Order: sequence, then structure tokens, then C-alpha cells
Amino acid sequence: MILNELAIVKSTERIAFNTFQTFLNSPQISASIKSGQFINILPTDNWDKMMRRPMSVASQGGGMISIIYKVVGEGTEFMKNWSEGEIVDLIGPLGNYWKGYTQKFSILIGGGVGIAPILNLYYELEISGADNALIMGARNSADHFMEHQPQNRIYMTTDDGSLGIHGNVLDPLKTILENRDIGNVKIFACGPPAMMEAVRQFSISKGIECDLALETLMACGFGICQGCTVAFEKKKTTTEHSYRNRFGLVCMDGPIFESKEIKTCHL
Amino acid sequence: MSSVKFGNVEFASPILVASGTYGYGHETASMVDVNKIGGIVTKSVTRHPREGNPPPRIAETASGMLNSIGLANVGVDEYCKTKLPYLNEIDTKIIINIAGTAIEDYVETLQILEAAGGNHVGYEINISCPNVKEGGMSFGVSAQMTESLTTELRKCTSKLLVMKLSPNVTSIEDIAQGAENGGADAVSAINTLVGMGIDINTRKVKIHTTFGGLSGPAIKPVALANVHKIFKVVNIPIIGLGGISSTEDVIEFVLAGADLVQIGTLNYREPGIAIRLADELDQYCQNNKLTSIHDLKGLVEYH
Repeated sequence: MILNELAIVKSTERIAFNTFQTFLNSPQISASIKSGQFINILPTDNWDKMMRRPMSVASQGGGMISIIYKVVGEGTEFMKNWSEGEIVDLIGPLGNYWKGYTQKFSILIGGGVGIAPILNLYYELEISGADNALIMGARNSADHFMEHQPQNRIYMTTDDGSLGIHGNVLDPLKTILENRDIGNVKIFACGPPAMMEAVRQFSISKGIECDLALETLMACGFGICQGCTVAFEKKKTTTEHSYRNRFGLVCMDGPIFESKEIKTCHL
Repeated sequence: MSSVKFGNVEFASPILVASGTYGYGHETASMVDVNKIGGIVTKSVTRHPREGNPPPRIAETASGMLNSIGLANVGVDEYCKTKLPYLNEIDTKIIINIAGTAIEDYVETLQILEAAGGNHVGYEINISCPNVKEGGMSFGVSAQMTESLTTELRKCTSKLLVMKLSPNVTSIEDIAQGAENGGADAVSAINTLVGMGIDINTRKVKIHTTFGGLSGPAIKPVALANVHKIFKVVNIPIIGLGGISSTEDVIEFVLAGADLVQIGTLNYREPGIAIRLADELDQYCQNNKLTSIHDLKGLVEYH
């Protein structure tokens, strides 16, 4: 059930370059949100923009949720400066959630602002004890907040080689896949469109099951504006909504889609 | 409550929610008591389902947004089957917005809805659509086409018939008079303004179809001017809309000549805004000893 909840800001911490994690007391949403789902945030009551800012949650439980964001514009600038005790208007839980992560060997790939839902899934897997590997991609070491620990199957990549593997997320992915039954692997990814598209095409070329959490502009987040569309690779015949066979809504049909289901991650 | 009587229909609040910004009414039901909304104008329905335009369909602009959804909708048959039953159950006034590409489309769609026997109180007609039989020119740019369409639809229903006018015309007064001459019960104004945005990094247009409809507070002054121009030339009621975001905005529209208003783009940000503003409007009426906000209709003064 979609809720409109007034949450209370608990704390905000800088976790990497220009990257912040905010914890919010939001008991109703915290109790019902699942890993991979998102909330739509009104950064301030005096917001002169028309759109809330959709964000996946990085963690939930104990009455709290957390979000991770890079400060890229006016909305995230407001959020970074939220003070403790401030009341924030949230809509959620929204969208679908990660599925099928306990049956196979899960490879999690996150990058940029897409780290929140990936971290969330990583915590789920760690709790359940399911076998997994985690890959985080960034431009340089300042963007990372985790350590490169290949012995624990945690891989950091950087474009400039300043931390972990010098390269992109596909490099450790290929290494992990060596000598592995690809039929028993599933990839979960969220990140910048170029990274996601590379992962999408790689997964299709190798025939690996792969779920992608997409990000795009949304006016509402709950199926009304019909603005956040993604083109399906093939026209569907079995969707719930007769008029959403060619284009899906990222907010309602997603944000998580199978790699082969969609035409592109560049929305 | 500052209720407004409109034709034979009494709206509990003068604040409705605009077509395309409130879906089919059920989407916000877990967040908002939809029964408290003055009225819901449902998303444009067409004779057949429409997939709409490829992405990107929306872009954010200064105090507004651009959209080019392409009338994505379930089509009238599925609307009657899956949307009307819920709309029949809720205790607010439902107006069904209809779009089409030929007079026959509109007529057929309206007839199917009439036969379905819903509790809806009327129809709002989206005339900002291309008339394929007239070379793709929008119905809404011609007073004569607007009048013909209104005349044909008037024959099919005794429910409220509201023509929704486009501001992208030379003279909105002429079009409003066309609607009045054709027998419309009211006009609503304005639909979105034609707009465009460009991403300077990719040099690509921000909307797949290049041009989109601009809405939000950015267009409020334009909407207000159009409502007032229409008020000067017609005798039928006017539903004002375009960027309304506050109680002050609602009062401005009423002073300019509107009988009712609709909230559009702001619903996305605050799904309960129509109810909040209606409460604030009641308070304003009490404070100013007005029996209804309608008492202020057209009372704008000039210098």
C-alpha cells in the first residue's frame, strides 16, 4: 500500500566525495518497504520544482529507512542540509522489488547513485547467508566508501586506478564468471545509464539472468503521470494494462526490469 | 463547504482535479480520501487503447514541466469494464475526459460511456487533438470545428458537456463562443502551452516528440488572462485551470470569471492538495463573510 508519511530526519553522514547517507524515522514505510523499492521525496515544503525526487532506500527496519545520494542539484542540496528533527514528506513504498536472489549465485553491481538498492540487497544476502559477490564502480577512490576486499568477493573498480581494479565493473564481473556455471548466476545492477547498458548487453550476450533497477525522471511515482516510460524490447501481450505493452512505467512496472525485457537503459 | 452549483450538478467543493493528473481516481486512494475532492476529471479516454509516445515524455522546467505522453490510455471498452466500477463507488463528482481524432471517434466513445450507465456527471472534451480528416489540424484551433464537434456531442448526452480549450490559438474567445453556440454547458481553460527544452550536453530535445505541453505555476498568468478573455464573451460557466498551487490562485481565477477550478500538475507533488485548498478556501469565505466563493465570480476590478 502506497503511503504518504511525514518522516523525521535522524542523521546525515558524508560517506564519500559529495555522497551522503540520511537516516529517517519513517515507521510505516520502514515496516512495509522491500529491498529494491523506492520512495518519492519532497525535499522542502517551499519547493518551487514540480517533481519530488525518487530514491531507492539503502536500508530499512526498526522504524528507520536510509537513503544514499550524491549532491547534484537543488533538491539534494536541500537534503544534505536537513537538520535533525526536521519533518520530511515521503511517498512510498513505490515500485517492485528484488526477487530471485537466493536461488542462484548473486552478483551485485552498483555505481554512482545506484549504490543504494544494491547495498540494500547486499545486506539482505548477508543476513540470509546466500552466496554472492559485490562490485562497485566509480571514477576514483574518493567516490568509494567501501574497501576493496577480493578475498571476501567485494570488488571496487575505478576509472583512474586509484582504488581496487583499474577499469570498469565488467572487469571483475568477467573474472568472477570464469569457471562458473553461468546458468547458476544472476546479476543485479543499478547505476548510471552507460554502466547499466554495458551490463545489460553483456548479460544478454552471455545468456546470464540479469535484473536492472532503472532510474529516470518521474512527476508522480505512482502511475498517474505516465511520464517515466521505458521501451520494451518486444511488444508484450500479457501485461495487466492493455496500453502498456510497448512502454512500461518505471514507477509501476519497475524500477526493476529483466535485461532482455527492455530496449535500452538510456531513458 | 463552499459548494458550487453548476448546471444541475452540485459540487461539494469548487476545486476539481484535472484530467491526466489524477489517473482514474483509484491510484491515490491509499493516501488521500478521494471522496473529499470536489470532482475528478479522469485521464483522456479514446475509442481504442493508446500506447502513447516513446520516452522521454516529461522534463522539468522553471516552475513547471513539459509533457508529451501521447494520450496513453486503456481505451473506452476497458475503461467501462475496469475503471467505471470504482468511479461509481466513490462519493465525488466524476467527469470523464474524452479525446479523439475524428468527430465520429468522440461520438462513439461518448455513446459507449452513456450506454455503460455510470454515475459520472459529465464529459470534458479534449479538443487539442489533431483532426485526421482535416489534415491533422487540431479541433481546438477552429471555432467552426469546435462548434460542429460540440453540436454532435450535445445530441448524445444530457450530462454536463464541457469543452476544454487550448491556449495555442489566435483567439480563444472565438473558440469559446463556438463551444457555446454548439450547446456546451461550460468550457474549461486552459490546456497546456506548447513548449520545448534542449539538453545542451547532448544537444538533444528533452522530449521525444520535440514539442510538449507546458504546465505548472509558470503558466498561471497565461491561464488567468485566457479565463478572463473567455468570461468577457460567453454566458456559460467557466472551469479555470493552469498552474494553480495555492488558495490565492483559486480566488484569482474566480475573480477573473471562473465558476470552478481544477488543480493539475501540483497533484503529482501533493496528491491531497485539492482537499487542502478547499479547506483553506472555506476558511477564507468564513473570514470574509462570503456564503460561497462563487460570490466573487468575475468581480475583478480595473485601473
